[in-house]
Parts: sequence; C-alpha cells; structure tokens
Amino acid sequence: MTATARQPPQAPAAFRPMTAGLRLVRLYLLSRRVPAACCLLAALGCVLCSALHWRWNIAGGPAAQLAIPMIVETCAAAIVAVTSYGPFGDTERAASWRLPWLRLSIVLVLAAAAFGLLSAGASGGYLPGGVLALLRNLVGMTGIGLLSAAALGGAFGWVGPMGYLFIIEGALADGWTTPWVWASRPAGDVGGAVCATAVFAAGLAAIAALGARGAGHRVAAE
Amino acid sequence: MNVELTDLRRRFGRTEAVAGVSLQAGPGVFGLLGPNGAGKTSLLRMMATVLAPSSGRMELLGRDPGDHADRREIRRRLGYLPQSLGYYPGFTVSEFVEYFALLKDMPPAKVPGAVASAVERCGLSDRARSKLRSLSGGMLRRVGIAQAIVNDPELLLLDEPTAGLDPEQRMAFRALLREIGGRATVVVSTHLVEDVGAACTEVTLMNQGKIVFHGTPAQLTARGEGSGAAGDAPLERGYSAVLSEARA
Repeated sequence: MTATARQPPQAPAAFRPMTAGLRLVRLYLLSRRVPAACCLLAALGCVLCSALHWRWNIAGGPAAQLAIPMIVETCAAAIVAVTSYGPFGDTERAASWRLPWLRLSIVLVLAAAAFGLLSAGASGGYLPGGVLALLRNLVGMTGIGLLSAAALGGAFGWVGPMGYLFIIEGALADGWTTPWVWASRPAGDVGGAVCATAVFAAGLAAIAALGARGAGHRVAAE
Repeated sequence: MNVELTDLRRRFGRTEAVAGVSLQAGPGVFGLLGPNGAGKTSLLRMMATVLAPSSGRMELLGRDPGDHADRREIRRRLGYLPQSLGYYPGFTVSEFVEYFALLKDMPPAKVPGAVASAVERCGLSDRARSKLRSLSGGMLRRVGIAQAIVNDPELLLLDEPTAGLDPEQRMAFRALLREIGGRATVVVSTHLVEDVGAACTEVTLMNQGKIVFHGTPAQLTARGEGSGAAGDAPLERGYSAVLSEARA
C-alpha cells in the first residue's frame, strides 16, 4: 500500500455511461450466479421435455404425469429465488441506491426465462393444465421462494417452494379447494391465479425493498 | 463537521449495543477502541447507513441518512469496510473494485482510472487480474480497503482494517490512513492500540455501548501513567486504566 502514488501506472480507457451500466449489470449477474441459474433452468426445460415425451410407469402413471411437471416448476422457482443471495452483505448495502432496481429486474428477467424455457420444454408433449397453469404455478411458487429468501436468507430461497410442493401433494390427495393451493386448481381458475399473482407481488416487493436476509442482520431501508 | 451524532442508540432485543453516543468529527483519523461487544461495529454500521438507529440524531456529511435522497448522496461519498468482507470468489481484484465504483455512482469516465489507482494504492497492481479465490486473507483485506477508497470518500469507515495484514503492510496502511485523513474523516475501529497511536489524530474508547474516553492518543497515554494498569506499551496502559475506571 502506498500513500503517495495517486496516479495509476497506465491510464485505462474511460467508460461511456451505457458501457458502465452494462458492466454493472454484468458484474451483478455474475455475483448472483445468474449464468449458472440459466443453465439449470435450461436443463429443467430438457427434463420437462423428456418427462412429457416418455410414458411413466411409476406411481400409477397418470400421477407421475402430473407430479413431474410440478416438481420441475418447483425446482425452477427455487432456482430463481436462490439467485437473490448476494455475497457482499453490508459492503454492497452501504454503496448504492440501485440495488432494489437490480434485484427487481433480475427476478423478473429470470422468472420470464424460466417460463420461456419450461414452456419450450413442454411444447412437445401433453402438459396437464397447459401453459397457463405452468405460468400460474411458476409465478406463485417463485413468490413463495422470494418470501422465504427475504425471511430466511437467499441460500434458503428453496425452502418455501419445496414446502409448498408437499402441501400441494396433500391438497391433491385430500381434495382441498382453497385457491391458495392454486396448483391443485384447474388452469382457468381465477381465484388460484389471483392468489398466485398476489404471492408473487408480495415476494417481489419484499426482495426488492429488503433484499435477501443476511447473516442475522436486519438493515436500514435502501 | 462530517459526522455529528447526538444521543445515538441502537437496541437488539433487550441488549442496548449503542447506548447514547454523542460525537462530532471533522477531517482526520479517528480511532475507535474498545473490548469485544463494546458497540463499535454497531456504531460503524449505523454510520455506514446499513443499520437504522433506534433513537437519537445522526448527521453525516451535512445530511440526514434517514432521508432517502440524503442517504443516496451520503452513500456516493462514503467508503466502508465491514468487519467481515463478503466477496464473490469468481471476481478478479479489478472486477471487485470496479463493481463497487459503479455501485457508488462514480462518473463512468472516471471509473477505470479510479479502479486502477485504488488497486495500486493498496499494493495489488500485480494481482489485479487474479481471482479473489486465489488470494490470501491479508490480500483480501487489502482488496476490501481498495473498494472502500475507490470513490475518494469524504467519510471512510473501517472496521478492523488491519486484521490479517503483516507488519510491513500495516505500516503502509497507516501511511495511507494519514494521507486520506488529511482531507476526509476516517473512522477506524480496531483492537490494535499501536495502530491508533501511529495513525490517529483522535481516539474514542467505548465500553458497553457508551463512550468512556475521547481525546488524543497522547491524552489516553497520560491516563495510564502511574496508574499501575496492565499493558506492554504506554497507550495500552492508558486503554486499560480508562476501561478499569469505567468498569469500577
């Protein structure tokens, strides 16, 4: 470390405003492991494609045909939620007012990517409930994932969607009709769609405003 | 004054981590000393705008951090190194420092030069392209210092900055602190009293959330003279004497 040398050894090229914005987004995406998340989402699209293409002879066949897409949707929602984990903690919080906007944008883009990749994977076979049910389930479960990331920490964003999956299994077995278990409702059900959207909006607001919970710290607003 | 704190308090459940701190600081290097759990980190986190006070008044760089627009401006002009630095291991040293320069809203044209300068001032030019996962603990600490100074902050908050630095690096770091303290307010929380003696113009000693001493390092040293307090160096004896009095 030196107290006197204030000039860099060579003058690097200056950024243009647009370049600076793009570089910030790129570094933010890398730090949240978004490229890896996109690869996993693409892999889930392939899994869904395979699952719908083959005939399953486990758990009675039709049950597997329903359960596998739901498991894939849950995994996709968990992946989107887990990317809310940031490694920088207080250093990042003390640096910027842009974080809520970055978080919001990334969640929306990743959720859209998840929907796109899963619907592409489902395009070759019969998906129970169709693309509309896929969208509703994915949106709702992503909201649950974001809420659990805000409450428990980004690394635990998967806990909510996985817990919800077990609840749905129980709901399907016991014939629950509440719209809060939207995945067990028909694709065109308005109540289920409204509940899923409300949960997504709540999760989005929580993660944008507060960020994922960090190592036991509650923080000032950003 | 860059820092004006009035009766600042912060509670965590039943524990009052900061119990009515009042402090004023202009340009210079301020040492924040105290035993573990004295409230130093909580005080620094409040000054870094990442932790809201439970009560009291705080003004940083002439602005109120409770106000959204003011907080945004404060953060542009603030440098902060927390006690435990979080990092993404896949970033290079330059990428890490650049990320914080961009987050701090620096003018885009100045970012590459500021990044190179901060990396160079922390003695990391030869490791600028190294991934953070390949660095030692002391080097990571210097990377943390580089991100804190990249925007030439007017208020620099450093929590245990010399942890993991070797003696040569610590001496260089103290020189850097003195240089920055000539024009900015630098608040350094540390357990190493020799750092305070060598680099700080003023020292504040905290115990159980309260300030129990505020003065120059020479005044703190004087408190230990003839007191019979424990310590290997005069400043350490002053530190021990003040703490013993506060606990009595």
